[in-house]
Amino acid sequence: MIEARQIAVTFNPGTPMETPAMRGIDLTIPEGDFVTVIGSNGAGKSTFLNALAGELRPDSGHILIGEQDVTAWPTAKRAGLVARVFQDPLGGSCANLTIEENLALANARGKRRGFGASVGSNLRDEFRSQIERLNLGLENRLGDRMELLSGGQRQAVSLLMAAMQPMKILLLDEHTAALDPKTAAFVLELTREIVAERNLTTLMVTHSMRQALDIGNRTVMLHEGRVVLDVRDEEREGLKVEDLLHMFEKVRGEEIDDDALLLS
Amino acid sequence: MMARRLGLAALAAAVSLGFSTLSMAADKHVAITQIVEHPALDDVRKGVKDVLAEAGYVEGQGLKWSYESAQGNTATAAQIAKKFAGDAPDVIVAIATPSAQTVSASTKTIPVVFSAVTDPVGAKLVSNAMHPGKNVTGVTDMTPIAAHMALVKRVVPTAKRLGVISNPGEANSVSLVSLIESEAPKAGMSVVVAAATKSGEVLAAARSLVGKVDAIYIPTDNTVVSAFEAVVKVGNEAGIPVLAGDTDSVKRGAVAAAGFNYYDIGRQTGHMVVKILKGAKPGEMAVEGVAKTNLHLNMKSAKKQGVTLSDALIGEATDVIR
Amino acid sequence: MSQIAFLGAIEVGLLFALVALGVYLSFRVLQFPDLTVDGSFPLGAAVCASLIVVEVNPYLASLAAALAGACAGMVTAWLNVRLKILHLLASILTMIALYSINLRIMGRPNIALLGETTVFSPLENLDMPTYIALPIALFVLVVVVKLALDWFLNSEVGLAMRATGVNPRMARAQGIHTNRYILGGMALSNALVALAGALFAQSQGAADVTLGVGVIVVGLAAVIGGEAVISTATVFRATLACIIGSILYRLAVAGALNADMLGLKAQDLNLITAVLVTLAMVLPGVRMPFRGKKRGGQVT
Repeated sequence: MIEARQIAVTFNPGTPMETPAMRGIDLTIPEGDFVTVIGSNGAGKSTFLNALAGELRPDSGHILIGEQDVTAWPTAKRAGLVARVFQDPLGGSCANLTIEENLALANARGKRRGFGASVGSNLRDEFRSQIERLNLGLENRLGDRMELLSGGQRQAVSLLMAAMQPMKILLLDEHTAALDPKTAAFVLELTREIVAERNLTTLMVTHSMRQALDIGNRTVMLHEGRVVLDVRDEEREGLKVEDLLHMFEKVRGEEIDDDALLLS
Repeated sequence: MMARRLGLAALAAAVSLGFSTLSMAADKHVAITQIVEHPALDDVRKGVKDVLAEAGYVEGQGLKWSYESAQGNTATAAQIAKKFAGDAPDVIVAIATPSAQTVSASTKTIPVVFSAVTDPVGAKLVSNAMHPGKNVTGVTDMTPIAAHMALVKRVVPTAKRLGVISNPGEANSVSLVSLIESEAPKAGMSVVVAAATKSGEVLAAARSLVGKVDAIYIPTDNTVVSAFEAVVKVGNEAGIPVLAGDTDSVKRGAVAAAGFNYYDIGRQTGHMVVKILKGAKPGEMAVEGVAKTNLHLNMKSAKKQGVTLSDALIGEATDVIR
Repeated sequence: MSQIAFLGAIEVGLLFALVALGVYLSFRVLQFPDLTVDGSFPLGAAVCASLIVVEVNPYLASLAAALAGACAGMVTAWLNVRLKILHLLASILTMIALYSINLRIMGRPNIALLGETTVFSPLENLDMPTYIALPIALFVLVVVVKLALDWFLNSEVGLAMRATGVNPRMARAQGIHTNRYILGGMALSNALVALAGALFAQSQGAADVTLGVGVIVVGLAAVIGGEAVISTATVFRATLACIIGSILYRLAVAGALNADMLGLKAQDLNLITAVLVTLAMVLPGVRMPFRGKKRGGQVT
C-alpha cells in the first residue's frame, strides 16, 4: 500500500516566482490499484510523481511505501520499491549504452551491484526471451545502442526494464505523450498486459482524459495542487469525458479551459 | 585527422632528413637545450656559441648546431633529451636544472655540459663536484653569497636586518635563500624572507618588507628578477638600499651588485665545450663556479635609497652609473 | 628520426597513456571535466620521490603516489557533489591547492632521483639498453592496466559508473547512488594520473613542482586523437584509443622536433594541442566523420 499524506511543495518560496505546486495532497493507493492521474498544466502531476520517486523532497507531509516512511529517502535508496518510466524516451534510458546494458542496469535495480560481468551469457539469454514478447525484432539487436531505437521501441523496452525486478509501485510519467497515436496505442496495450500479468500497483500520469478513463481501475484528478476528483471501479465505469468535466465544475465551481486536456 | 597528417609529415621529413645528413659526417655537432626561453638562459646560449666561433667552430662551417627549447614543458624536455641522445652529438649542452636532469637520464655516454644549474650535486647531476667521474660536468651559477653579504655590509655598514624576496617554487632560489640564511648572520645581519610565487606578487612582497629591514637583497631568482622594477620602486620610495645578485639589475635600479652575468657563464661553458670537442673527458673536468665577477654601482639609486658610496668602492667598480 | 628518439616517444607516450586513461574516466565516462590532473600528476611524482629519497621501497612509493592521487580526485568530487560547486571549478580549486601541497610534500621544488633505486632499476641489469627495456616494461604495464580497466567498466559496478555519466537521473532510478560513483570514479581517475606522475619522475630522473603544467591538455589531446583514429563503440576500443592517441601524440611531437625541414619547433605543438582540446570541448560524443559504421545500422 502506498500512502501520501498531506504532501506540500512550494517552488521558489519567498520570491516573486513563488509557486505552490502541491498544497496538501492525500492519496492512499491499495495494492493492485491501477490509478490514472490527470490535470491541467501546473496541476502538480509531475511534482507528485517526483515526490513519490524521491527526486524531490516535499516541504511537509509524508510518503509511506509498504509500512516504511520513505519521505527522507533519496531516489537511489527507494529504487528497490519504486520503478519508473519517464516521458522522454531518451531521458529514461542511457542512449550511449547498448540495449542489453540498459536491461542489465534495470535488472540490478534494488540489488547490490558487484564486480561480476554486467551482461553474462545466461543473462543475455534471459534478456532475449523477455524482449521477444515485444515482437519488435529487437532480440537480435541486443548489442545496438539505445539511441538507434525509435521512440516507441525505446518506451516499450523501458516498460520491460521497469517491470524486470519487483517493486511496490510502478510510476508511468506520461510515457506515451511523446509518441504518435499508433505507437502510443501499442505501448499502452503493452502497459495493460504487463500490469495485469504481474498485478502491479501502478500510477500513470496522463494528459489525455480519454486515456485516463480507458485504462486502469481508478482515476484521480489534480487541480492547483490538490486532489479534486477520485473515482474508482463501478463509479468510474461508463463515465465519459463530459461526465468528468461536469464533476470537475461541480467541485471547483469553475470551468476547465485547458484545450489539450479537453481535446485529447 | 590531425594525427594522421602529422604522422605522414613526420615520415616524409624523416626520409628527406636521412638523405641530407650524409654530407655532414665530418663536422662537430653540438646540441643545446634549455627549459624555457628567458633572457638569462638565452645569454648563456649566446656565450657558448660565441666562444665556439672564436675557437673556430662556426655554425655551418665545421659545426652542426642544434637548439631546442622545451617551452616550459617537462615532458617536451624529456623528448628533446631523447632526440639528442639519438642524434649522438659530440656534446650536449643543457641549460637549467630540469633540462639537465632529463638529458642526464637519457644518456650515460654522450658528454653533457650543464649550465646555469645552481646546485648540481643536489640535483644529482654529479656526485662529486671536483671529480664528476661520469659523462656529466658543467658550470654552476651558484652565487658567491658570502662575498655578496660582505658587499651588503660595505655598502650599508649599519645594516642589521636584511630582506630577501624569492619564489619558493624555484629550485635555485630555494638553495640561495638557505645559503643567505647561513651567511648573513656571519656578516652580522638577520634575515627576513618574503615570498612571491609569480612576478605579479613581487610588488606586494617588497612592500611587506618596509619597516622591517635595513636593506634588501634579490638573489638570482627568475620570477623576482623579471619584476625587479617593482622592488626598486619600493626601495626608492621607502629609502631602503636594494642590492642584487646579478649585475643587469644595477641598470634597472639596484645600488650595487658584485655579480656575474649569464653571458659570461655561457662563455665559461663554451670553453668547457671546446675542451671536450678537442678530446677532454667530462668526468675529469671539475664543475666550475662563477669565475668572473664585476662590481657594478648605481649612484642615482644610491642617492634615492639613502646610501653613500665610499671612494674605495667606486674605485673598484667595473661599471658606475652616475 | 633516430631509434632512440622514436623509442623515447613510445616511452613517454606509454607513460601518458595512463594519464589518457584517467582523463577518459573523468571526462568521457563520468562527463566530469577535471583539471585536478594538472595537480595530481605532480602530486604522484612528489609523493613517490619524497618516499624514495628516504629509502622507501619504490613499488610502495609508487602505490602511495596512486593513493594520494585518489584522495585528490575524491576532494574534487566531494566539492562537486556535497558542496554543489560546478565540476570544472571544483577541479581548478583542488589543482591550485595541490601546488602548495606538492611543495610542502617535497620540501623543495625539485627532488632528483638520478641514481636512486626506482621501479625501473632492475632494467639496468639486463643486457638490453635501457632505452629499449623501458618502453617494453611500460608496454606490459599499460596493457595490464588497460585490461583491468576494461574488466572493471564491464562489471556491474563499472556499468553503474558509466550510467552515472550518461544519465544520472535514470541511474538513480535504477538504484545507483550516483554521488558514490562519482567519488569512486574520480578517485580511480586521479590515482591513474598520479601513478603516471610517479613513473615519469622515476624514469626521467626528477620530480619537479612544475611537472603538471599542461597535463590535462595532453590527456585530452590523446583521448580525442585516439577517437579520431579508431571507433570507440566498445569499452575495449575506447581504452585502446586512449593508448593509441597518447603514443601518436608523442610521435607527432618527436616528428616535429626531428623534422628540421618543416621548421616546426616545440612552440607550435601548443597551438596544435589547443586545437585538439577545443574539439574535445565542442564535440562531446559526436563521432568523427570517417570512423567505421556502427553496428546495427537502421533506425526504424
